[in-house]
Amino acid sequence: MAVPVTLFLARRLLQMIPVLFFVSVIIFVLINLVPGDAARLFLGEEAPPDALAVLRHEMGLDRPLYVQYLRWAGGLVRGDFGHSFKDNRKVLPTLLQKVPVTAELAAGALLIAWTIAIPAGVLAAWRRRTVVDYSASAVALTGLSIPNFWLGIMLIYLFAVNLRWLPASGYVSPAQDLGRNLRTIVMPAFVLGVVLAAVVMRQLRSSMLEVLGADYVRTASAKGLGARVVLIRHALRNAVIPVITVMGIQLGTLLGGAVITESIFALPGLGRLAVESIYGRDYQMLEGVVLFSAFSILLINLLVDVVYSLIDPRIKLAGARP
Amino acid sequence: MRRWGVVALSVVIAGSVLAAAFAQGGRQGGTLRAALDRDPPNLDPHRSTAAVDRQVFQSLYDKLVDTDENLRIIPMLATSWTISPDGKTMALKLRQGVKFHDGTPFNAEAVKYNFDRMQDPKFPSARRSEIGPIQNVVAVDSATVQIVLEKPYSPLLYVLTDRAGMMVSPAAAQKAGGNFALAPVGAGPFRFVEKIPQDHIALERTPDYWAKGQPSLDRIVYRPIIDDNARVANLKSGDVDIINIVPLPQVKQLTQEAAQTGARFKLLERGAFQWYGVWLNVTKPPFDSKLLRQAFNAAIDRSVIANVVLQGAAYPAFSFFPNGTPAYDPGWKIPSRNLPLAKEKLQAAGRPNGFAFTMLTLPGQQDQALAQAIQSMAAEAGIQMKIETIEFGAMLDTMARLQHQAGQIGWSGRPDPDFDIYPHVTQSGIGSFNFGGYTNPKVQELLDAARLLNDMSQRKRAYGEVTKILADDMPYVWTHFPKEYKLVSARVHGFVQVPDGMMRFHKVWLSP
Repeated sequence: MAVPVTLFLARRLLQMIPVLFFVSVIIFVLINLVPGDAARLFLGEEAPPDALAVLRHEMGLDRPLYVQYLRWAGGLVRGDFGHSFKDNRKVLPTLLQKVPVTAELAAGALLIAWTIAIPAGVLAAWRRRTVVDYSASAVALTGLSIPNFWLGIMLIYLFAVNLRWLPASGYVSPAQDLGRNLRTIVMPAFVLGVVLAAVVMRQLRSSMLEVLGADYVRTASAKGLGARVVLIRHALRNAVIPVITVMGIQLGTLLGGAVITESIFALPGLGRLAVESIYGRDYQMLEGVVLFSAFSILLINLLVDVVYSLIDPRIKLAGARP
Repeated sequence: MRRWGVVALSVVIAGSVLAAAFAQGGRQGGTLRAALDRDPPNLDPHRSTAAVDRQVFQSLYDKLVDTDENLRIIPMLATSWTISPDGKTMALKLRQGVKFHDGTPFNAEAVKYNFDRMQDPKFPSARRSEIGPIQNVVAVDSATVQIVLEKPYSPLLYVLTDRAGMMVSPAAAQKAGGNFALAPVGAGPFRFVEKIPQDHIALERTPDYWAKGQPSLDRIVYRPIIDDNARVANLKSGDVDIINIVPLPQVKQLTQEAAQTGARFKLLERGAFQWYGVWLNVTKPPFDSKLLRQAFNAAIDRSVIANVVLQGAAYPAFSFFPNGTPAYDPGWKIPSRNLPLAKEKLQAAGRPNGFAFTMLTLPGQQDQALAQAIQSMAAEAGIQMKIETIEFGAMLDTMARLQHQAGQIGWSGRPDPDFDIYPHVTQSGIGSFNFGGYTNPKVQELLDAARLLNDMSQRKRAYGEVTKILADDMPYVWTHFPKEYKLVSARVHGFVQVPDGMMRFHKVWLSP
């Protein structure tokens, strides 16, 4: 039974609450299972016991685990994600400061992936078992096999060290200077985009092959429509649906922070924040980052569902009950 | 071809004229971009524990005293100091007319406040163990303080060249409370502007810094670039001007590149300051057996580690005192690899067929390569070593609780020799730095006695004796002393490399 979009969205958003609750419990327990004493890490190995006790109290680590969880979760409900153990910085504003960087990187990667993968996937399927198909597959396989860190360093050496066209690292916000912003983001977005393109291209090729064999495509051809119209308007539109699922999963991962790419290009995104928090045993910050990533994955899944129904009218938004 | 020669020649001439002009007058202004290997976690010197924090502190906070490039103690906020004959009181004369960045005057009261802050039981200070023997600090008059000690404590002056000697503004620290690290205020040549985590820390020149003509730079931007290769590439591309840690396996290649004409960077080298090797847990099998420790030690080829694995970027080591530090003794011999001896020791221990153990090591290319080299050396003596890679915090925790068999980890080094040895092999270090769980009454006695001596040559004698005992007992298998390197853009002038690895920018200026 189809339901109105608003009702569908409301239901789905409500369903997220228990999911996020379970996610928060799991995150909290896992992070607290990690060996190592956060207080000792802050005070150094030679810390006197009374100073450690003071710090543990300050960090709330001397309370039972469930009390620590309740305090944290209570804060979350009020929109207070707590403070960094390291320098007392507030978690939520720090997190939000990182989101635009990671979002821009993810969007850039997505754009590059589409630009490469869609024509390549369509062509490979259309010219199946020809040189076009084989070379597209070979390129995709290469894209999948090249490690991010290696490609990143090679690009830096080519474009920053040798040609000096692009900065080797850093980030400038688009509000500050759009030109410089694009110059800082293009290499990392390309690195991520290449891998993503390979995944998307392979997925698109196989779903295109399936669709091209379908009756309605044969009908369209029989009606005398040109190859371009058949391919783009009839076949691609249907073939792209499974691809969107793949893209959604990939985008969710990207928003969690592209750790390696962000590290190589020194981009101040969520991935770097997560890594530094792990290094420094900054529990509160790390919990915030992971919870935020989980939340964005849920949100993207929802978005994917909505997009489905827009592309394919046969897919209806369904509620929990029929 | 000839035309290019003329062009090159004129560039060289113009360059040297400019350089000469700068050298005479110095040059004002400019932003220096320094890359760090990590994002500094905490900008409060009394709470910081990360080595990388100290890089930023050099510009932000002046200390009571500093060290020069030969590790001699030089005046900074204290202009002179005297130690009473019984060694229990140190009087410091303070520099006059100095202000913190927020305008608070620097005087004896401010110094007293700083020590009280570090010793306050309600304030979780990471400095308390370093200044432990201090009983109290007395402000005699505004320009004089007295540090009263429970007993003589020879490392004190060197301690004051590091974070414990860094003075924070009392007014700012009181006002900020636990948030001081977010808006740090010191009396250094540069003051705090902003910190965007994982992106940069910006400092700007202090207009009325007490040292005339300093600093030259307008601004310093510290940027964390954690990937070793990316950090080097950023320097080569001109995106940063100096990097704090040079990956040792790249040193050979960088030396060649820097030697080429027209190179855009220099590679600076100083003697070693850090030590590196493998802790053997003497409280647990198999290394509760001294013979097995000695067998493992005999299997190690230190020259291969220094010259092959690290391509000459380290010295072979057989003590806790690298050649960049005051207690170094060139007379100490590095034993060569001795497989027959290793077999002999195994035989004597009743394990002629060898034994097996697990060594913890950190992730990262260099540590992995070192571990694998040691693994294959040990295997040739019949010792099966398993490598377990573990994250830093978990490693410290496991090793502090003596739950490991062996672990590969080094020490960043301190200018005073006491911190290079004392906490690592004495009872008080168990649960913290003593990852061997090793104790020995003779060692304890010698090291305690050395703390009471203010004469370095006398102290060196004590350290020499302890080193002899440790070289036989082997709770720690020293492997190498990494050399101290800085990779610096050719634009940077006036940079003085101090063996402690800390980048001081007071006198640095940039050419365009």
